[in-house]
Amino acid sequence: MATKVAIIASNGGLFDAYKVFNIATAAAASDAEVGIFFTFEGLNLIHKQGHQQLPLPEGKEHFAEGFKAANVPAIPELLAMAQELGVKIIACQMTMDVMHLSAEDFIDGIEVGGAATFIDFAKDANISLSF
Amino acid sequence: MNIQVDHIVDAKGLACPMPIVRTKKAIGTLAAGQVLELQATDKGSLADIKAWANSTGHQYLGSVEDEENNDKLYKHYIRKSEDLDVKEEAIFPHTIQNSKLELQLNDSTHLNIIDVREPAEYVFGHIPGSKSIPLAELEDRVQELDKEQELFIVCRTGHRSNTAANLLTEKGFINIKNVVPGMSEWTGTVNKNE
Repeated sequence: MATKVAIIASNGGLFDAYKVFNIATAAAASDAEVGIFFTFEGLNLIHKQGHQQLPLPEGKEHFAEGFKAANVPAIPELLAMAQELGVKIIACQMTMDVMHLSAEDFIDGIEVGGAATFIDFAKDANISLSF
Repeated sequence: MNIQVDHIVDAKGLACPMPIVRTKKAIGTLAAGQVLELQATDKGSLADIKAWANSTGHQYLGSVEDEENNDKLYKHYIRKSEDLDVKEEAIFPHTIQNSKLELQLNDSTHLNIIDVREPAEYVFGHIPGSKSIPLAELEDRVQELDKEQELFIVCRTGHRSNTAANLLTEKGFINIKNVVPGMSEWTGTVNKNE
């Protein structure tokens, strides 16, 4: 049986983005079915402009050089790769309403849904992760 | 060491998860049974490529470490898995069990063993003294072999060697044995090319 990975992304910093997208692309590249539910600050990670300039945690700004030196792919590149590998992206409707955001504020190719949408995807997942 | 492969993936200088993402993309372009070489400088790629092969069902053959511009260069070898619904083929009647061949090897000074796996599979472990002729090249290289001589044909699981044994019989060979199950369960000595 194919592996299914369900991820909740609820934080919006650069470190959070790497945790989410590295696991997601690695899983998708290993033939797993992957879905990510973006909620609260996690919506930053798929926001059209926001995902291109995610903040490093305060006091950790010096890591920027480390990312460059290790040739780690940029978040927009990782995100595009995740989508190309078929990772399903679900934006949380409730958070979007609270923050006055609409589907046009996000990258293309996403779904918008509520908690039940994620639960329906995650109900038979082998791996569930929360970041 | 140069190992013959069908495709090379260059993931040099790239961090996780890029080496396996590139591998995933490349393997889609290969035919079943073909061999891919992944070149990476990421130290994590050794553990990752094995895990990736385990998840996806492709066959991990082995890895070698090289050096390039003072950097460690890892070369990983993967063979694309066969389709499970391979067409049924006539089963070659003359077989010999691994264990029996191993005994004969201990008794005899030389046996003519033909290994019909891909060159990269052969490199990472073969019966000492066996000759590498990949199945795809067998028809063109038949003249290297003696039709009267006893020949033992081996592959990984006995399928490719079965095909090879049928092919050689068609070509007039009269003393062929298919080694079963083959290298996947070989417990005797193996040689590696360094």
